[in-house]
Amino acid sequence: MLTMQNVSKVYTTEKVQTHALRDFNLEVNEGEFIAVTGPSGSGKTTFLNIAGMLETYSSGQYLLDGIDIGRLSDNQRADLRNQKIGFIFQGFNLIPDLNIFENVEVPLRYRGIKSAERKARVMECLEQVGLGSRLKHLPQQLSGGQQQRVAIARALAGRPRFLLADEPTGNLDSLMARQVMELLEKINQEGATIIMVTHDPELARRAPRNIQVVDGQIADFSLYQKQLAGTEPAVAEV
Amino acid sequence: MLDIKPTISALRRSKAGAFLLLIQIAIATAIVSNASFIVYDRVQYISQDTGYPEDEVFSFSLNTFGDVEDLSQQMEQTEQLLRNMPGVIDAVYVDSVPLSGSGSASSFANLPRDQNEQENYREVRAAYIGADEHIFEALGVEIAEGRGFLPSDVIVTNTRADLPPVAIVSRSFLDEMFPEGDGLGQHIFTGNMGAQIIGVVEKMKGPWLKDSRPDNLLLIPYAEASVYQNFIVRTKAQDRSEVIGKIEDLLLEQYNERVIINLRGMDESKARYNAADLLMVRMLIVLMVILVLVTALGIFGLTVFNISKRTKQIGTRRALGARKSAIVRYFLVENSLVCVLGLAVGITGAIGLGHFLMTEYSLPKLSLYYVVATAIGVFIISLLSVLIPANKAANISPSIATRTI
Repeated sequence: MLTMQNVSKVYTTEKVQTHALRDFNLEVNEGEFIAVTGPSGSGKTTFLNIAGMLETYSSGQYLLDGIDIGRLSDNQRADLRNQKIGFIFQGFNLIPDLNIFENVEVPLRYRGIKSAERKARVMECLEQVGLGSRLKHLPQQLSGGQQQRVAIARALAGRPRFLLADEPTGNLDSLMARQVMELLEKINQEGATIIMVTHDPELARRAPRNIQVVDGQIADFSLYQKQLAGTEPAVAEV
Repeated sequence: MLDIKPTISALRRSKAGAFLLLIQIAIATAIVSNASFIVYDRVQYISQDTGYPEDEVFSFSLNTFGDVEDLSQQMEQTEQLLRNMPGVIDAVYVDSVPLSGSGSASSFANLPRDQNEQENYREVRAAYIGADEHIFEALGVEIAEGRGFLPSDVIVTNTRADLPPVAIVSRSFLDEMFPEGDGLGQHIFTGNMGAQIIGVVEKMKGPWLKDSRPDNLLLIPYAEASVYQNFIVRTKAQDRSEVIGKIEDLLLEQYNERVIINLRGMDESKARYNAADLLMVRMLIVLMVILVLVTALGIFGLTVFNISKRTKQIGTRRALGARKSAIVRYFLVENSLVCVLGLAVGITGAIGLGHFLMTEYSLPKLSLYYVVATAIGVFIISLLSVLIPANKAANISPSIATRTI
């Protein structure tokens, strides 16, 4: 359902060209839960941005549900994001001036869904993350873990086929991180496909499939598994 | 979709900037509405038709310091000299000059004063100018009804004499004094002294455009000579400046113990009389432009500030599926809500200010047309002020949402 073939992303400034992704190849099937790891600056976030159509790519081909993303206009990409993708951000990215209900409602408004249905869906998603009684609260009145759960509810509200999570537990303590991870696993078991970028090896280990990005490419996966298990040094000795 | 409800929610939670903008819009609307109305009113006043060919007429005063035995004879000689000048259509001695800001006025009645207790006794204020039969040609006005002065009507004197028994009046005065429309041929009185109305001029203004009755003017065939004499001269428009240039030498050649002052065209006299109004119009226009600019800049600045404050939020909205147009619309709706509230306060303020100016400064009643037109103008300017930063906001990349800084 998500296929990237030789996708490259080059940032060009006056003096230098930076290859954020190089000939990136990936196939993601329905219902998968993938953890994407890699050192800072390796291209994880660029990959996530391109997968979520937040950025365009320089070359290659990216198909989402058979749709060639490279051929879409800005408006078509916005509509497709709204319909197929739910985002969970490290910093939660809730809108501070809107209450919890209004925050979860945002993607549904952009889809033009009628008020009654919006309300039902928002309630359903907030119940799902255990915040059905906090509708009128503002984001800053909630803990970090609760805020991230609101963000997850917002990502789920549009019933997307993909959830893209960028360090979803990066700003949370370990207890809250575990709760959020459990929630994501539950959502995955209910059928959503999840791609999660993380620094946390423990979280990555919990995902059924791991990919490591190094220098804009997918690194040798088996080596990475061993590194995670601690049977190989993270830095190869020469 | 316009998303008005969540926009209102968001505005309610960050009131300060919006409130300041609302006040600014309200003040601009209230002041610009009234200022534009005053400007229009003053422009109408300044450019009003006086009934005279202002570019053909000029006037001047002669102040005689020499010992002249017969001033009235000298006055008539001067008139004759002027009338014989090449380019001059006609010239006349007058005791005051229309539109000059200096002259005489009185109350005239339809009955002698000793009958002032009668029910139909009516008094009307009017300015009056004494001159001989050349006054019409010299002022460039025509008798619409009745007749002009005959030389035999005119009293020329060196000492105060009884007023002549005839007068020619402006239509405005005639209609006010005799609303039944039968004024021509009737008598008007000052005290118990009466004069018959023998002719009507359709339109002519008195010395003061700001008088309560600027259109009420009486011409009487009376020329009382003094050392201070006013003359009105009419030429073709293209000849006027040449004639004005020759006047002084010619008059001093005839008699040199006198000075010529206030030599100026009727249009210039009118402009001098209205100089304060013109200055006010210009000041008000500058004030309006500044107010509108400051408001537009305020809206622009607040939008730029809001956008810089909400960069991440805009990126997030884009990531959640907002099209660029939805971002632009968001800021337009947000601004429109503040603007509409500001306009509502401003319209109320405009009407209140208009009422205050009317009661305290006798300004005409503010026409609602100006309030509505100003409100529409301010609304359009506010939308334009938002468009530039909002378009910039729409171009914020959705990928900003995944940046941690």
